[in-house]
Amino acid sequence: MLNWTLRELISAPQQLLASVAAVAGAFALVLFFEGIFAGESEQIVALIERTEGDVWVMQKGVGNMHMATSFVSDWKIDAVADVEGVEKVTPILYLNSAIEAGGRSWFSFVVGLEAGDGRAGPWKHAGGAPLPGPGTAIVPDIFAADAGLAIGGTVRIAGRDFAVAGFSADTFSMANSITYVTMSDLADTMSSIGSVSYMLVDATPGVDPAALAGRIMDQVENVNALTRAEFSARDYSIAVQMGLEIVWIMTLIGGALAVLLTGFIVYSHISERERELAVMKALGVRNRAIYASTMLQALAIGAMAFLLAVALMTAAVPLTEWLMPKVSLAMTGAALIRTGVTALIVSLVASIIPVRRVLSVDPVTAFQQ
Amino acid sequence: MIRLAWKNALLRPGRTVLIVLSVAAVLAEILVLEGFLAGSYTQLRQAVLRRGGDVMVAQAGVTNFLATRSILPQQTRAAVEAIPGVSGTHPLAALAAIYEAGDLRTPIIVLVYDDAGGPAGIMSGRPPTEDGEIAVDHALAERYGLVPGDTLTLSDYDFTISGITRGEAALFTPFAFMNFDTLIEFYFDSDVASDIAAFPLLSFLAVDAAPGTDPAELAERITAQVADAQAILPKDLALNDEGLGRELLGPILNLLLGLSYGIGAMAIGMFTFAAVRSRRKTLGVLRALGFTARDIVTGIVAEAVAIAVAAIPPGLLLAIGLAALIEWVAPVYLLQVMEPRALLQTALVAVVLAVLGALAPLRMLMRLDPATAFRE
Repeated sequence: MLNWTLRELISAPQQLLASVAAVAGAFALVLFFEGIFAGESEQIVALIERTEGDVWVMQKGVGNMHMATSFVSDWKIDAVADVEGVEKVTPILYLNSAIEAGGRSWFSFVVGLEAGDGRAGPWKHAGGAPLPGPGTAIVPDIFAADAGLAIGGTVRIAGRDFAVAGFSADTFSMANSITYVTMSDLADTMSSIGSVSYMLVDATPGVDPAALAGRIMDQVENVNALTRAEFSARDYSIAVQMGLEIVWIMTLIGGALAVLLTGFIVYSHISERERELAVMKALGVRNRAIYASTMLQALAIGAMAFLLAVALMTAAVPLTEWLMPKVSLAMTGAALIRTGVTALIVSLVASIIPVRRVLSVDPVTAFQQ
Repeated sequence: MIRLAWKNALLRPGRTVLIVLSVAAVLAEILVLEGFLAGSYTQLRQAVLRRGGDVMVAQAGVTNFLATRSILPQQTRAAVEAIPGVSGTHPLAALAAIYEAGDLRTPIIVLVYDDAGGPAGIMSGRPPTEDGEIAVDHALAERYGLVPGDTLTLSDYDFTISGITRGEAALFTPFAFMNFDTLIEFYFDSDVASDIAAFPLLSFLAVDAAPGTDPAELAERITAQVADAQAILPKDLALNDEGLGRELLGPILNLLLGLSYGIGAMAIGMFTFAAVRSRRKTLGVLRALGFTARDIVTGIVAEAVAIAVAAIPPGLLLAIGLAALIEWVAPVYLLQVMEPRALLQTALVAVVLAVLGALAPLRMLMRLDPATAFRE
């Protein structure tokens, strides 16, 4: 029976290839969708992760950076610096805003840095000045390429024009690229003199960041302090939660599509081999064995399609980075497990489709002309 | 050939239904993605257009409504109202916040309004009229199980939910509404009090033009005469926000649509391949009867096109059902699967995919030997 199953499966290699490719396409679509959300979510926390501060301090009641507003009076910078275990405090001003260039708009985290202090600045330099000066901005290289911006070009942030002084790498995402300007320029743009948004705190070597965060909250009034890991996890979870339902629904749609496609190919095989099945039944092969064979075919198609989808996705990550650098794509273990389980369920459900056909085959037809 | 294809379809109705359903599923998936894109753009436009006014005044240089920060000086309102052609102004403020309950966190956009610019539709309860009240969108209410009368806490300030709004969301973010008295109370009573200087009190002014006044001319006059402000027509502001959405969603969704089209072509190719393979003997008879390979290819293409056309209505129904399911599960999304441009485009794409897919077994068809008809 196993031989018959395998022979059947490869009896029409082009058809099998088309089937596997179509089902793999449905799985790849799900992996792509989830990969884009994961990629964007990873980029959303790039600023927090890549600046590698030990503790982040913000307004009380605020626990995020993505789509959040935080203002802390600037006198609190010294108060935080005085807390035991703090080695350095780097304040930033922050604005979540659209930035304009060449008649188009993009979402951006706009970060205001203290003049000449690159601690919270770009972590990867891609040309021009490494830090912003008065009236200038450091923009992501991918954004600059997309907007056709060169050094000296103009970007508009919250209604004010800035000259592009340099480019940063690894700071672009569709949802939130990172643009750096000086803190005084951003304060002027935001009319927020005397405030900062967040403070990046470096702990003295050997100091536990969680304990330090607790001390800062105890000793400085009306602030919230989170370790880098906590702060990053909170922003990441927001980004993931925003896309959670749609990812599940796309998985459902892709899965349903895969069920129909796999079901069709197994059904076709059964339909074309009714006479052979009748002979088998006449020779005593049970329905159960035939049904196990169709399930095996469906499982084989599902497994091949899943592996092809993973291969496609593995190739797509670097390819997308090269061909469409605007799109951040990432493959997560959770996505692979979920799609793998979907492939298994798809195969089992698809194998139900031809059951009626198998049961309806009459052994007597083997002896009829 | 077409009659033969039709008879063949009727001969195996189960198989035909499965093929049509599979193609319909591919089309539905394309329509859902197109509807998602169209709905997202509509939400972005509506976020501005539902605030009313003939002209919208923002901070000088600000050309977007959402995802940007606009702060107008308090005296701007008086300056705008003094301009000939202005019959009234309605202040608006916008601020971003994160609502958190348990392990769930959702970004929200709080729109503060006075006498106009509030929620366009209320599902239950009423708009916020009393101090400390807030109306939240169905998308947020559904996720957290909120109803009118419940408490909603932002920055340790407890609001009372006065009503649940309908369709007030954009960029995957639900809106919330409150009046200016509540905003002031929130600023002073919550944890932001010590740093209040940096928070917006006036972001935009929705301006009503006097009867007979051209809004475009009025916008120009306001921009020219009011310092630190810029006037823009709501439809232009809406288009700017849509442009922002296109930059965000366009490349991603287009990539996914491209992939969906590829799946569609492969699926139809698979069906026609299977159809040709299972009818080799019948097709051999036709060749023996004098039909040319070209006739047979034409017939197969026509059959594939017929399947694609037959799949459009169930595909559309499936898409409508899926869109309703998505909006029910996650009301923050709007899926406009009935958008005419997307519908027409998908129907045309279905036909093109059918033709491309039908060419998959071309080599097999061209090599079809009439002698097949006489072989066992």
